Amino acid sequence: MAQNASTLFEKIWDSHEVLRKGADGPSLLYVDRHMVHEVTSPQAFEGLRANGREVRRPDLTVATMDHNVPTTPGERRLPMADQTSDLQVRTLEENCREFGIRLFGMDSPDQGIVHVIGPQLGITLPGATIVCGDSHTSTHGAFGALAFGIGTSDVEHVLASQTVWMQKPKSLEIMIRGRMSGPHAVTAKDVILYVIRKIGTDGGAGHVAEYRGQAVSDMSMEQRMTICNMSIEAGARAGLVAPDEKTFEYLRGRTYTPESYEEMVDAWKKTLRTDSKASFAKRYEIDASRIAPQVSWGTNPGMTCDVTEAVPDPAEYGDGDKPREDSARKALQYMGLEPGTPMTEIPLDRVFIGSCTNARLEDLIEASRAVRGRKIARGVRAMVVPGSQAVKRSAEEMGLDAIFKDAGFEWRESGCSMCLGMNPDILMPGERCASTSNRNFEGRQGTGGRTHLASPVMAAAAAVNGHFVDVREMDMPDGTV
Amino acid sequence: MERRKGGGSRSMSGNGAVTSGVIKYARDNIDTDVIIPGQYLKIHDYAELATHAMEGLDGDFHSKAKDASFIVAGRNFGCGSSREHAPIALSHSGIKAVAALSFARIFYRNAVDGAFLLPIEIGEDAYEGTSEGDVVTIDVKAGQLRNETTGKRYEIKPFSEIIGKIIDAGGLFRYGMQQKQQQQQPES
Repeated sequence: MAQNASTLFEKIWDSHEVLRKGADGPSLLYVDRHMVHEVTSPQAFEGLRANGREVRRPDLTVATMDHNVPTTPGERRLPMADQTSDLQVRTLEENCREFGIRLFGMDSPDQGIVHVIGPQLGITLPGATIVCGDSHTSTHGAFGALAFGIGTSDVEHVLASQTVWMQKPKSLEIMIRGRMSGPHAVTAKDVILYVIRKIGTDGGAGHVAEYRGQAVSDMSMEQRMTICNMSIEAGARAGLVAPDEKTFEYLRGRTYTPESYEEMVDAWKKTLRTDSKASFAKRYEIDASRIAPQVSWGTNPGMTCDVTEAVPDPAEYGDGDKPREDSARKALQYMGLEPGTPMTEIPLDRVFIGSCTNARLEDLIEASRAVRGRKIARGVRAMVVPGSQAVKRSAEEMGLDAIFKDAGFEWRESGCSMCLGMNPDILMPGERCASTSNRNFEGRQGTGGRTHLASPVMAAAAAVNGHFVDVREMDMPDGTV
Repeated sequence: MERRKGGGSRSMSGNGAVTSGVIKYARDNIDTDVIIPGQYLKIHDYAELATHAMEGLDGDFHSKAKDASFIVAGRNFGCGSSREHAPIALSHSGIKAVAALSFARIFYRNAVDGAFLLPIEIGEDAYEGTSEGDVVTIDVKAGQLRNETTGKRYEIKPFSEIIGKIIDAGGLFRYGMQQKQQQQQPES
């Protein structure tokens, strides 16, 4: 193996493969970090209990509650108003107590969306295998970790054995050449929406994507997390960025960063990269300089266009592919949109700045540039939901909460919130929302709700204008806020 | 809380042949949010969960599912969230197999892990040749989907060996226990 040129993904895979069934069969992979939340874990713990099993490595397992916790200030306590949510949260507390798992509960200063707190606490590490019962586990790939979502049966399997069965995916290269145009206006979110629009919602199926190229090297860790987060939206099993100095610096000195961290960094520098002669099973190439601010118009993240464009005609969008044309027609019907309508002329009811895709400190700073000294448009309801309590505290220290609140935004406690409509933060039927989250599926943010995906600064600008605008043409303060 | 293992309506193995009606969704990218909307993921009772299956897409799903145990759909079925609730809700609504042009990976895996339903990969011919209300036989052993209404036969993509074994065993854990027992009782 050592002599052969390998991709970063293959190196991490090989170093974690416990056994393989036959030449092509699935492999048993060792899991370095298992993150658990309240929604996909109750039946897994129940399975352990029913079979008299213990958690094999509670020291490698952490839990938080994020999906259905209230984000309304003052309501984060038990009993919760929603009885089924209350039961799910209490069940996680009891399970963590019984099985000896560290829990960042609703009242913990470290609580937050699982994919925000993992890196923030130094639990996410380069070269590690990370799983969680959540498809956006791909976020952690930004650190050069092999991280992927699993279902509840696999959660139980990992709790019991610290391993997971998996068919080895293939390596996919997504080369993002050049530099992004328009500082603060074109963001990592625009890059990943553009990638999904170009390669399709199953363009990465069966593969682990490694993002490479100048634009990726230029990105901050938080931006890299945004692109890796949405790898699943392109059908990829996981997304990866090779670790560099930015990666190592980000994790230095965090709460759970290992004591032997510097030695680990020295080892990672030698191994955690794709060899120059390694080959990828599939490659895509994107020119970053051509990417404009993106907005989704349909009901999957691939149904996206430049903000300067108009709602497409389904026949043109289908381009001879009948199912594609039909799906566009159904999407426009659901979204209540007419072909040819400029994206900047669609009136909005709601704005949601939050989620594991875009609720980190940098996202809130970028969004605040479009908001400072402005008010949100009449008739628009807008909210900011920080990704974690730590993000919230940092933002408050910088005065970002005041900028948002002065403009008329609601400033919330951390959680998944309106990304998936499990807690009371939902859209009403027919309401149209600019959202920094990751999925514009029918009903995702509430039954009949209509979601337009966009970057934090695009969503913030949309809140003050009542419709999308091209933020490249907006007057925004430069430098740090 | 009801115990999960073994699926809800599991009466179809990786080797069997089952005949039933078809519910056709002629679209790609049927995501797990429409299969079971997020607001219901708090429900721990699977019978109750199932009452909300496909609520985001088809209000008539349950009346259709009375006479039909198969869903036929397009590409990338089950994309999106990792919620195992998706195959569980379908399974407990009486769905025994989903035949689609392709599946999103986590949905496929979840369906197999708990042996909730059979994820059958079909070609364009079977997809185009199957309509809502048709009666079809899915014969995994013969690698065929037979449309009894039209009399046409189509090939289905065979399961990999281990996927077939997991389904036959009744899920990942039962398969693992079988393996363990076999190791403890070496063949004479």
